[in-house]
Amino acid sequence: MRKPFLYLAERALLVLISVVVLFPIAWMFLTAFKQPRDAYSLSLNFEPTLQNFVTVFSDPWNLGSMVLNSVVVATVTVVIAVPCAALAAYSFSRFRVKGRKFLFFLILSTQFIPAVVIVLPFFLMFRQLDLLDTRIALIIVNLAIVTPFVIWMIKGFIDAIPTDSEEAAMIDGASRLRVIKDIVMPMAAPGILTSSIFCFILTWNEFLFALILSRRDAVTLPVGLVSFRTERGDLWELMSAAGVMITVPIFIMALFIQKHFTRGMTAGAVK
Amino acid sequence: MAEVRLVDIEKKYGSFLAVPKQSLTIHDGEFLVLLGPSGCGKTTTMRMIAGLEDITSGDIMIREERINDKPPKDRDIAMVFQNYGLYPHMTVRQNIEYPLKLRGIAKAARTKRVQETADKVELGALLDRRPSELSGGQRQRVALARAIVRTPSIFLMDEPLSNLDAKLRVTMRAELKHLHHELGVTTVYVTHDQMEAMTLATRVAVMREGRIVQLDTPKKIYAEPADLFVAGFIGSPSMNLIDGKVSDGVFRADGVNVPVDLPNRDGVVLGIRPEELEITDDATAPIGGQLYALELTGESTLVTLRNGPVSACARGHADFEAEINSPCYLTPKPGARFHLFDRASGERLDGVKH
Amino acid sequence: MKDRLLPYWLLIPAFIIVLATTIYPLAYSFITSFRDWDLTESRRPGGFVGVENYAYAASESAFLNSLWVTTVFVVTSVILTVILAVALALLLRRTGPMHTFTRIILILPFAMSPALIGVSYRFMFNPEFGVLAQGLGAVFPALQGVPWLADPLLAMGILVLTDVWHWTPYMTFMCLGGLASIPRETEEAARIDGASNLRIIFGIILPQMRGVILVMAVLKTIFALKMFDQVVTLTGGGPGTSTETLAYFIFNVGFRWFDMGYASALAWILTAIMMFISIWYVRMLLSERKMATA
Repeated sequence: MRKPFLYLAERALLVLISVVVLFPIAWMFLTAFKQPRDAYSLSLNFEPTLQNFVTVFSDPWNLGSMVLNSVVVATVTVVIAVPCAALAAYSFSRFRVKGRKFLFFLILSTQFIPAVVIVLPFFLMFRQLDLLDTRIALIIVNLAIVTPFVIWMIKGFIDAIPTDSEEAAMIDGASRLRVIKDIVMPMAAPGILTSSIFCFILTWNEFLFALILSRRDAVTLPVGLVSFRTERGDLWELMSAAGVMITVPIFIMALFIQKHFTRGMTAGAVK
Repeated sequence: MAEVRLVDIEKKYGSFLAVPKQSLTIHDGEFLVLLGPSGCGKTTTMRMIAGLEDITSGDIMIREERINDKPPKDRDIAMVFQNYGLYPHMTVRQNIEYPLKLRGIAKAARTKRVQETADKVELGALLDRRPSELSGGQRQRVALARAIVRTPSIFLMDEPLSNLDAKLRVTMRAELKHLHHELGVTTVYVTHDQMEAMTLATRVAVMREGRIVQLDTPKKIYAEPADLFVAGFIGSPSMNLIDGKVSDGVFRADGVNVPVDLPNRDGVVLGIRPEELEITDDATAPIGGQLYALELTGESTLVTLRNGPVSACARGHADFEAEINSPCYLTPKPGARFHLFDRASGERLDGVKH
Repeated sequence: MKDRLLPYWLLIPAFIIVLATTIYPLAYSFITSFRDWDLTESRRPGGFVGVENYAYAASESAFLNSLWVTTVFVVTSVILTVILAVALALLLRRTGPMHTFTRIILILPFAMSPALIGVSYRFMFNPEFGVLAQGLGAVFPALQGVPWLADPLLAMGILVLTDVWHWTPYMTFMCLGGLASIPRETEEAARIDGASNLRIIFGIILPQMRGVILVMAVLKTIFALKMFDQVVTLTGGGPGTSTETLAYFIFNVGFRWFDMGYASALAWILTAIMMFISIWYVRMLLSERKMATA
């Protein structure tokens, strides 16, 4: 039924989109394996090397400690935010209590607050408490952006689960908390996992807070990128190597949740 | 086993009155069906018994104990849901076992009871499957098994057969009836299907707009509907309801002349069941008009005639044949019964034997 | 019922987090915005100066410049992202191996750190050895030797490009979800009635997508107003102040010049803009719902 021209045009468009999406990523990956002298040429004919990775992990760059900071900050943020958010999301999804709509709107509206507004007072407070340049400081501010978003996301997933099984469990003899543990959480597990990974990605990529609140000890990977801008110019091959270190774990996670992610996004958004 | 009493219960959602104040007693061991169209409050009533819905006012008593404030888990009830409410992440065995596990029954006893129950509903071979790997009928059986495994004192069933195909529904209906006979547990059953209600119930409570309009045995409800709503709701095809008036001891409408024992009045509805009418050539028959449609159902033919605004249906022989639009006459069978209702209030005026 | 309070108990942990991490700092910076507090002069907050900080903003050309830059950035990036996302979603809703592959890789730009996106585009647009600068120059001779990020207009263009590259996938996913919730029947009925593809898209599908597109537009506006990372790593606000967005300007005031009072006031102006847009959005959405149900 469809015309061959349209068919070809559609394929061509899909190829073009894939190129636009993949090219900047691919170029970064290629550069990461180039010798410094090749990094400044456009030639694809180069001798691949792992030297850049060795360099970024050694003095003075010490990417290892940044990786550790990023892992700790993102993991702890997820571990705190997701369970709290899941309980709140369940409450918002299932109970028709007074003030529910107002509270939910309050939580969502915090998403509209620019991060700069939050970071100013925290900067002053952490300076007072001598917490500047610590992971704890980064975790606290990251919770601010991540928690409302995760509540919203998990609520979308829980809304999509029919209540029948929960009611059946209550009649079968389970208390509410038991229902949450035995029935809701296992049924919402894909959604919660998706939200956790999403939360991890947000925190991992977070730049503004880390730029302002860390100097040396607590620097995370995205901020670490900036340090490859030296008086000798931008060290592209090292930046690319660091970029690969930032993206690879995140890409794996993102591809893992891609399917659920689309669903979770829309479940929350449409309601 | 237990008696359930609803005393002056009422349910409001904000200002919306879902179930107006009323009482209902469900006898020990009885199979009570709550029947009505969707949105009539039958499911709300059941969910109040289950404790899934708060009661606005009134009391719910089980075995003379007031249970208003008890959570569902402490009411000793089991419930089968319309969508089964199975636990998708558990196997059939774990599904059936879950209520026992919550009650702290030992592993060995649990395994034995799960096996027995599963055998009773013919699930023995499917115990290690997940609900998603079962057919609709099998899922229904799992829900049933989960309900009966712990021998509760009351069963609640919320349209349990409505998601099954027509054939399976009839089979499961018979199984439910057998199960009730075997266990003798007090059962409350919600449905909008009058056929299910008639076949299963010890007593039927017909509900409309939150109110129970008639509570009686299926036989009595069929033979003597309390008002126009019940008359029209029970029976398939439904009762013929003809608008007309009474003058000089005769009910009159276009082509309809039926002697009745009522004083003169307007706004009367005459009701008679299609299966109590037969087709005749006698032009003096009480109901006359032009043949409108013939519908063969297999064992009989539904004959509909029209005369102006009047429409009447009779169940005739399967081999009945006639020209559409030809004259047609209906006469009551011996022992048939005419019902009279007030048009405005819907109330029953009086039943008269022909 | 006994567990009447349970709904609230479940909310408490999350609420403590939200209150402590957003409401509290918000209140704190609101108070600070009425103070004179230069961190380079004093560790303690200075005295109250009324609305002086706000009044100063209204007359400062650097602020007004950043407001203009932000407006240009937000408008272009929102329009481009939404149009591209809708087009992509319409293209990708069909099934097929190539469609699926494209859908899958589409998540990558979104998962990529915005700071890194800035860095890599900066690399690719380097006039001497950037692959895009060189590549474009080779294909279109007119573009040879274009200074790209050193040109105010082009720098803004590239900044928008990075943002569109980053956000279009997410918006496409949202749009795909919206498309999936449209009943297939209306489209099929139109097809049987003989409507062309374009007519179906513009006459049947897009009108039903209005709610989703509205949500997309407003979310994208919020994200664009907050955009910060790429400014730092791609342009540094330059050349000159031509890409100095409001968020970046506030950052400079607060953390380069350490003028806490003024930075707080600016931050509150940005918050107010966002609040205004989100209230406007909620109202639009509500009237959209009303129309849909009517």
